[in-house]
Amino acid sequence: MSAIQVQSVSKAFRIPTVRRETVREHVLGLLEPRRFERLQVLKDVSFEVQPGEALGIMGRNGGGKSTLLKILCGVYPPDSGTVTRRAAITPILELGVGWNPELDAIDNVCLIGSVMGLTLADIRRRMDSILAFAELERFANLKLKHYSSGMASRLGYAVAFEAVREVLVLDEIFAVGDAGFKEKCEERYRELRKAGHTIVLVSHDPRAVTEFCSRALLLDKGVIAMDGPASAVTDRYLSLLTHGNAGAA
Amino acid sequence: MMNASVETRRVLPAAPVADAPGGREAAGARAGLIWTLVRTDFKVRYHGTIGGFVWALLKPLTMFALLMGVFSFLFASDPNYKLNLIIGLFLWDFFAEGTKAGLTSLHARGFLLTKARCPAWILIVTSISNAVITLAVFTVVVVGFLAWAGHPPSIGAMLLFFAYTAALLLIVVGFSLGSSVLFLRYRDLNQVWDLMVQAGFFLAPIIYPLGILPERFHIYLYLWPPTSVIEFARAVLVTGAVPTLTAHLYLAGAVVLSLAVGMLIYRRYGPRAAEYL
Repeated sequence: MSAIQVQSVSKAFRIPTVRRETVREHVLGLLEPRRFERLQVLKDVSFEVQPGEALGIMGRNGGGKSTLLKILCGVYPPDSGTVTRRAAITPILELGVGWNPELDAIDNVCLIGSVMGLTLADIRRRMDSILAFAELERFANLKLKHYSSGMASRLGYAVAFEAVREVLVLDEIFAVGDAGFKEKCEERYRELRKAGHTIVLVSHDPRAVTEFCSRALLLDKGVIAMDGPASAVTDRYLSLLTHGNAGAA
Repeated sequence: MMNASVETRRVLPAAPVADAPGGREAAGARAGLIWTLVRTDFKVRYHGTIGGFVWALLKPLTMFALLMGVFSFLFASDPNYKLNLIIGLFLWDFFAEGTKAGLTSLHARGFLLTKARCPAWILIVTSISNAVITLAVFTVVVVGFLAWAGHPPSIGAMLLFFAYTAALLLIVVGFSLGSSVLFLRYRDLNQVWDLMVQAGFFLAPIIYPLGILPERFHIYLYLWPPTSVIEFARAVLVTGAVPTLTAHLYLAGAVVLSLAVGMLIYRRYGPRAAEYL
């Protein structure tokens, strides 16, 4: 039985010709009806992720990767189709997780850890380990608004790597931190793989996908252009970047 | 190279696929999330100090002192004016603070909606926690003030008072569920609500006794939900009178209507809340 099953998922966004974000703008615009353009981001996407599998997702910018990840994680609902999650998903989206800048690292770890499904006892037990992984022990009581973006991202990865239950969904996993931190992330990733965790990894980096994934999807213009061994999919992806045509799956 | 702390970290074994999210551990995590949201909200708002919380209490207390100084002369014939004023002000403060916090709750905690799968209703409901904590402290202040003024409330009166504050809390929750998702689409809704709260303060009989208005207008004032809660609370705490069954049914109807409308709007727009952040 698959860990995640995606069946005929489609997603579109309605893009208005004029943005109206306030009551005032809507009232004043009553006599000027606006048009909407339909931006089809995902079209009839279907695939399965098996337990313990590491699946890479590649594609050009605007190809629907981030939207697909958000649908997988339950952040966005699909317009049609279904996503069946048979295991707990821990997401790391958009270079880390969100933070409250007015709280220190410890409180933010409690907040994000509990959102990711850890109990408070679990979080307290792992706090030292999380701060050590992020190399932020000295700044544990500093408010996040004083952190650099790199420090905040490191903390995000450290929490998620500790919180992961079954499926880890990663958006550009290795795009954060210096060389030493990237190496730690990669090592942690291998540990998780060895422990049998399922991984879904979005990346533009062919090396990351071929090295860390057994299978990959190529997403282009909202459809799966290819589903196969990671090395073959990265070759097709590079060809797509060079020639601009993904071809058939 | 990896350091020692990384090498010795315990790697969680992957749970079997059949062990889908849910059960006691998920409930424990959710309880932890609620507690953490309440605690951190309090910390951010009051900078984690008792002194910071005292500032929140000072606002309505100062208002009470000022209004009492001015209007107790105007309503000198009403022996219960001070007691009615303090009850009205504190209940109003809860309503105003709770609805304002609820309205902006999803926007303020948007980072938890867009980066992780967090139930939006938890973010909305816990955003009201600060107003609830303040109301709890105010209740002690009000009871102390009533006792000092020679009107110690009976246990029955206190139970009814708690029922009315619970009704007001549910009205605030209903409003927050609906308005928080609408605020993501209409970003000036908080300013519209600020205006309504300002007008509503004078619409509810807080600084004036309801009795100074002709009775035919009372029904219109009761359409504003805080009016009934304030008037009922005053009746049981100050005069010891219990409102009629019809009055209670009216309040229950207001609660049900607020929750039903709020939940309908939330169910309609809540699932796509992250797309508007």
